[in-house]
Order: sequence, then structure tokens, then C-alpha cells
Amino acid sequence: MVSRQQVYSSSAALQAAPRVEFGYANAHHGEIFQGVLADSGGRLRRGLVSLVCDVMTSEAIFQPDDTGIVSVDPVWKTKARRAVELTLEYLGQREVGGRLVIESTIPPRWGMGSSTSDVTAAIRAACGEIKLSPHIVAALAVQAETASDSLMFGNRAVLFAHREGVIIEDFGGALPPLEVVGFNTDPTGSGVDTLSYTPARYGWREIEAFRPLVGLMRQAVQMQSPHLAGRVATASSRINQRYLPKPHFDKIERLAEDTGALGVQVAHSGTIAGLLFDPGDPSTPERAETAKTMLDELRFTTWQFQSREL
Amino acid sequence: MKNREVDQTITDALALPRLVRLSENLFAASFVLMKLLPARFILDRARDAALIGRGSTIIETTSGTFGLALAMISALRGYNLILVSDPAIDDALKRRLEDLGCRVEIVREPAPVGGYQRARLNRMAELQAEFPDHFWPSQYDNPHNPGAYAPLAELLLEAIGHIDVLVGTVGSGGSMCGTGEYLRTVHPDLKLFGVDTPGSVLFGQPDRKRMLRGLGNSLMPQNLDHSVFDEVHWVAAAEAFRATRLLHQRHALFQGGTSGAAYMVGDWCARRNPDEKVVLILPDEGYRYQDTIYDDEWLHSQDLWLPDPPREPHLVDHPHEAGDRWTRLQWERRSYEQVIGGSFIPAQQSSSFLAGSPSAGD
Repeated sequence: MVSRQQVYSSSAALQAAPRVEFGYANAHHGEIFQGVLADSGGRLRRGLVSLVCDVMTSEAIFQPDDTGIVSVDPVWKTKARRAVELTLEYLGQREVGGRLVIESTIPPRWGMGSSTSDVTAAIRAACGEIKLSPHIVAALAVQAETASDSLMFGNRAVLFAHREGVIIEDFGGALPPLEVVGFNTDPTGSGVDTLSYTPARYGWREIEAFRPLVGLMRQAVQMQSPHLAGRVATASSRINQRYLPKPHFDKIERLAEDTGALGVQVAHSGTIAGLLFDPGDPSTPERAETAKTMLDELRFTTWQFQSREL
Repeated sequence: MKNREVDQTITDALALPRLVRLSENLFAASFVLMKLLPARFILDRARDAALIGRGSTIIETTSGTFGLALAMISALRGYNLILVSDPAIDDALKRRLEDLGCRVEIVREPAPVGGYQRARLNRMAELQAEFPDHFWPSQYDNPHNPGAYAPLAELLLEAIGHIDVLVGTVGSGGSMCGTGEYLRTVHPDLKLFGVDTPGSVLFGQPDRKRMLRGLGNSLMPQNLDHSVFDEVHWVAAAEAFRATRLLHQRHALFQGGTSGAAYMVGDWCARRNPDEKVVLILPDEGYRYQDTIYDDEWLHSQDLWLPDPPREPHLVDHPHEAGDRWTRLQWERRSYEQVIGGSFIPAQQSSSFLAGSPSAGD
């Protein structure tokens, strides 16, 4: 999938790379949309639109050496190690090895992209001063971990084929600005193992119903409308209730309505959810506080962040 | 962002409407041939399920545009299409269907109950026995008919975003129930205004001869889910024809009589609710009606000439109160039984087609 040829010429310059490289990646907060779409050839492809969240991050530190062997700390972050190996191979630096340290504040199995975040940070650290395009980072990430989120594209609104590592559609701009009150819908549960979770088998009605959602997403990005993005998120969350139901979803929807939220978004393969508000609306701070108070009463721990151009 | 693309067939190129802004808050979705959407989707699903292939026989009863859509696709894909129609079919359409390789069967006598529509279904049954391996698209009860309208909803949402009211004519229930339900996945408060005509049974009037074709029905289709409609309008032929001409005169939109009926209601709705975005479905072009709706002499000869269109509909509480003029009833998403009361209960209504079993492959 990834050709090494195009960067061979620059690999010589990399020999003199600094001894310690850093890479960062944000978490995401689940999705605004996830579903299946027919491409122009009629083939069905799974895709998602991630909601990036900069409250939590993964940081990778890579100390290259000439051993040709990559080690990782903590040792169980094998996908991140694999990502470094693939990146070095892509850069034509098979002789380079090194020590990779991952420090992440992202809880695993909540659907916040902890694995993709580690992998993306690791790839960014491994390539040092060379800046790989997000498309290449995505392809390497999917090779390293089978299915990836679209973190490497930052806040750009893209419909991302998470099992192929390619963009199905670029909506042509950033996600509309969103104020998010997030929480874990299943704080006592063990979360979701993204890879062992069987992908949803959608019926034809749902596959068709995803089309209007993507249509509205295009308008939402073009108009930078938090309101319309909220509508897409709620509809996608509702469809997902048939496959990976969030506990108390009815209550959450009512709470969204009571607090004047624009919509409800979820991690389609995780347990977190978010109430969406318009950051430009002067009543948003008060509404968000009310939402947090009400969620506290339901024994959910909450957090808050703003999605913006990163 | 998508580049402009070459369509693989004319049926793909024509499937979606042009969107035209008629006023500040009134948008028209203007089709060349709306029925291409359900015809294509129904035949695609049948093909995917290996029910049909090149050389298969397809039988349907129609005297209108659904037949034309089936004939165009059948010509392109090598299906043998037999259409059962009645004397109301116009000669030009019949010749066009036959030019596309379609066999057109005309029933000559109406059935005592159910009229020509019943007589056509009877002839259908004979043909179905004659061709046991045939496929019947069955637009009146095939869930793939309303299911076909996702690309229309996608287009409307992509281009317009928020939509408050959808106005369109009702015949099989496919376009309004289908588009309405898809739009409501993101806009649950969307209002649906269905346009019918006096003498159609769809919303509870007694069956009788109708001058306005292409909407209304003598039989109750399974695909009509009454509970999605907020308001129902009945538009008489003369009014619809006047509005068809107005649509042409004011906006240069050359459409058929059903488009006129929808325009009359949509224009009224948009004027009454200036803060709401109203979308109007215009199902087909005007060429088939050049010698009728677009001919003043013909209109006079049929006593269908109306110098001025009515400005307001007449409000009623029950379909039986509706006369032979523009009438509206606030349906308020009720079931047929809830509105009609009385003893006549039609065939069991299908519920929301989107609420069907999520994984069912039907």
C-alpha cells in the first residue's frame, strides 16, 4: 500500500537526525458519523468522521540507534513498536533501531482512539524531521493496527475508511466548531476491544439511510454549522444503538433536549458519549454547566472540550 | 470535493432532480422522470438478489411514468418488459415504450369494482401465470419503492441543509413516505404535506373518476404510511392545470400536472410560513401534456379552464367534507383509522419502512 521509493532520496539526510525525536497525537472523542457507503463503483465501504479531542494526548519519544531493533516501553504497546518498524522500513532505514517510550493519558477501550493515538505519535517520532503526509501516516497506522481512526488528519472533516486507511471523501474544511460535554456511559464496565468487536452488519435500509447523513455532513462543513453537525451525530448515534447500545441512551437524549444541546455523539466502538453545543452561542457555558450537573446526578464523570482547527 | 463525472447511463444521469429556488423560502426539486429512482432501486435490488438477469421477464401494471422508467432500464439491461395498461395511456407514451422494446398490453373494460386498476391487476395475474419466472416490481407494496429515495434526501440535505416542510403528490406513497422518513432521520420535526386529488381513496375519499392523473389511487397501496403526514391537500384537476401553467409562466418550469398540484400547495405553504424552508417535489416534465394542460382550447373543451387559481384551500375536519375543489385537512400524523373513524378499514398499513428489521436483507 505504501511505496518507499518516493522518499529514498531524502533518507541520506536523515542519517544525521538528532538522537531524540518526539511525536504527539491527540485523542478523539468517538465519531460524528460512522456507517457504510456505496462508492461510485457501487462497492460498499465502511467509514467514519472522527471528533478530535485535545484534552488527552499520547506522546512518543524515540531514541534511534544503529541496532536495527526497536524496543518499546511499556512492552505491551506492540502496535506502536510495529508502527515505528513500518515507518523506518518505509523511510528506507532498515539499519535503524531504537528505544520507543509511549506516555499516554488516553484511557484504552473507551473508544477514544488510544491505540491510533499511540501509533500516530510513534510514527511522527520515528520520522523525525521528515514530515509525512497524513495519508501516508494513515496507511502506516492501518498496517500497524488493522483499523485506525482519522486522528492524523487533525480537525479536517474527512470520511475515513478506517479498515483501509484511506479517505473516502474530504468534506473540504474543518469540522464545525463544537463545545463538547463528554462522559463515559459505562464507567464500571470494561470498555470495548475495538478489534475483537464484530463490525456491524447493516441492513439495506440503514445503508441507504447513511446517505442523507453524509449529505447533511457536507452542508454542515460548508456552512461550519454546529447545529447541522449535531443532527448528523444524533442520527448516527441512534443507528448505532442497534449494534453497540450505550446504556441509558434514552436518558441521554432527553438530557440533551432538556439542556438545549445540538445533538448527541458517541464512540461507535467504545463507551463514551458527548453532548454537543455551539461555542458561539452565549448561552452555551450555562447550558453546558447544567448538563454537567445533571450528568453528575446520574453518576457520570464529565469533562469538557472544544473542537477547533488544530 | 467531487469532480464532475460522466454518467454510465441516461437513467443514472436523469435520476436526480434539479434544485431551483422559486422564492426566498421555496425550493423546487424538479425531476425529468422521478420514477427512475424507484425503478432503478427495485431492479438493482432484484439483480443483487439474483432474481433477475439479462433476458428475464418483468411484468408490471402501470399507465404512467413508472412504466417508462422500467422500460428505459430494461432496454439498457436486456430485460423483457411487459406492461399492462388501460385506454388512458396516451399514444405517444405507448409508442415510446414499444420503441424501447416493451410489450404493452391494454385492458379494454374496467372491472365493476376497482375500475381499470382492478382490471389491470386481473390481466397481470393471467400474465404471471403465463410467465412463472417473471419478476414483479410491484411499486405499490415493494418496500424498495420508498427505500429508493435516499439519494434525493441526500441531495436536499447537502444543498439546503435544514428543511422545515416537504410538499409532494401521493400515488403509491413511495416518494413522500420514503423521502420524508430519510429526511426525518436528521430533522424529526420536518412536516410532510401530501397532495391528493378528489375521488382518490388514499386519504379517505370515496373512489370515483379523476381527471388529474399521476397522483391519487383507486386502491390503497401498502407503501402509503398515513401516519407520516402532517397535512393532506386535495387539488382538483382544473386547479392543478392552472397551477401547472403558472409554474411555467412565472418560473419557466415546464412540468406536468402533478407538479402543478404540488406547486399550488407548496407556494401557499411558503407564503404562509415565511420563516420556514419549504421543498417541493415536481415529478415529471411537461412534454406529455402539451396537447392537454398546455392547450387552452383543450382546457375549454373539457370544461377545465380556470381563469384564476384559488388563493386559499378550504379547511375540513373529515375527508368526506371535501368537495371538488382545493381542500386541506390537518392530518397530524394520525393513522387512517384515527382520521376516518367509520367502518371502512383498508388493508393493514405498513409501519415506517425504516423501522424494519435492521439486518433483514429484504
